[in-house]
Amino acid sequence: MKTHKFFTLITFTLFCLLSFGQAKKPTLMVVPSDVWCNQNGYMLNFDNQGSTIKIPDYKRAFQENPEVLQVISQINGMMAERGFPLKNMESAIKTMESNAVEDALRSSKDSGAAVDESPIDAIKKAAKADIIIQLTWTVNKTGPKKSINFNLQGLDAYTDKQVATATGTGAPSFSAETPVLLSEAVLAHMDNFTLSLQDHFDDMFENGREIIVRIQKWDDWDGDLETEYGGEDELGYVIEDWLADNTVKGRFSTTDMTESMALFEQVRIPLYNDKGRAIDARRFVRELSKYLNDAPFSIPNKLVMKGLGRATIILGSK
Amino acid sequence: MKLKHLIVSVLFIGFCTSVNAQWKKNKANEDTKIWRYDLECEGIAKQGSKLVKVWSYSKNPKHAISRGMKNAVHGIIFKGYAGGKQGCTPFRALVNDPEMEAKHKAFFDSFFADGGAYLRYVSSATDGSIAPGDRLKISKREYKIGIVVNVLTDQLRKLLEKEGIVKSLDSGF
Repeated sequence: MKTHKFFTLITFTLFCLLSFGQAKKPTLMVVPSDVWCNQNGYMLNFDNQGSTIKIPDYKRAFQENPEVLQVISQINGMMAERGFPLKNMESAIKTMESNAVEDALRSSKDSGAAVDESPIDAIKKAAKADIIIQLTWTVNKTGPKKSINFNLQGLDAYTDKQVATATGTGAPSFSAETPVLLSEAVLAHMDNFTLSLQDHFDDMFENGREIIVRIQKWDDWDGDLETEYGGEDELGYVIEDWLADNTVKGRFSTTDMTESMALFEQVRIPLYNDKGRAIDARRFVRELSKYLNDAPFSIPNKLVMKGLGRATIILGSK
Repeated sequence: MKLKHLIVSVLFIGFCTSVNAQWKKNKANEDTKIWRYDLECEGIAKQGSKLVKVWSYSKNPKHAISRGMKNAVHGIIFKGYAGGKQGCTPFRALVNDPEMEAKHKAFFDSFFADGGAYLRYVSSATDGSIAPGDRLKISKREYKIGIVVNVLTDQLRKLLEKEGIVKSLDSGF
């Protein structure tokens, strides 16, 4: 009996170690670029007080263009083979739509209440991923000769940085069909794309995950970022000091700082906390939120997150 | 007496053949020991592989041909290529760190041994035939021979990941 308990304990410990040893895995999704959607006529036009605004109509692109499906399917397959299956945008759009219908029809059995949704919740309902793989291709034609210009960009959804890339022009052909040329282009570029993505992950494991931290204040709060607390520095400098102490190698940049807002970019956060658990922007900034909530500052605040890499603290109240 | 002479002669010829074969093998190994070769892309291959032309240098054209496959696999692992025919894209070596070859010497010595495991990851793309323009005599005593081979890069990468020489894309997550 004792041996049985001992083995259970060891198994549990090993499980904990293994599960805590993994960093939070970013999600990736292939999205046709605005340029491609515009060139192929998959745009929605809106009149915004006299000026026309164009936004890509992804749903129609997926429904009407078999080439985009072929390319995305091939990229998804190659990434899955490397142990990194991607989110499929077409499925994400469908799931979002069916969820919206279900939420609209759902009501409480007892009170008949509907599902609560704030305007912010509604805006946040979008097909999203931590890294967007933006896809563009154009078919170049010179007489009967065709070639494909192919461009894949891996964009971090929070820092807006390009973290991976592969681009180039394929061999011209007189006879090959466009899908064949596209397939060749994907084959030719995916190795370089995954290698540059690997570089990004290597950098992340060495120097921490790069996130963005924003500080704002509610307009009914009487304090601001220039207020001094208990003979200490101004609040803005207090927050900078906290970031310097808690980021990897003290790395962050203060991009903007006024009395009512601060923006910190290139904030490198550790991948695990002191308990060995994987953390993201929300978990990291939660510690800053607690620090500001405690004495001597005692500033109640609200923490808002966006994916793995962006968190905002709004000072003044929850 | 005649029989004795015959046996001695047969043994002598056998010995000489064996020594000659060993000498040739050593010579070929010497030629490729410094990994002197050029690698270029030959076209877009099927998914998971690369079609490359490897130019090997040797005093004996036969050695250059026999070592081409070994050089091609070595090139994909450690050198990569900058380009080649139209439509080819540059390829970065599977192993980024050049020190890895020395760090995992035992593995690579056995992998690149004659008849070693490298042969599982490469195949000839032209049935061993060499185009006339790919057999060049570059000096009085040296040849540069180009052969086209297909290297199974995805399988090779998986092997290196398994051996802990390169990291997989999802390692750490």
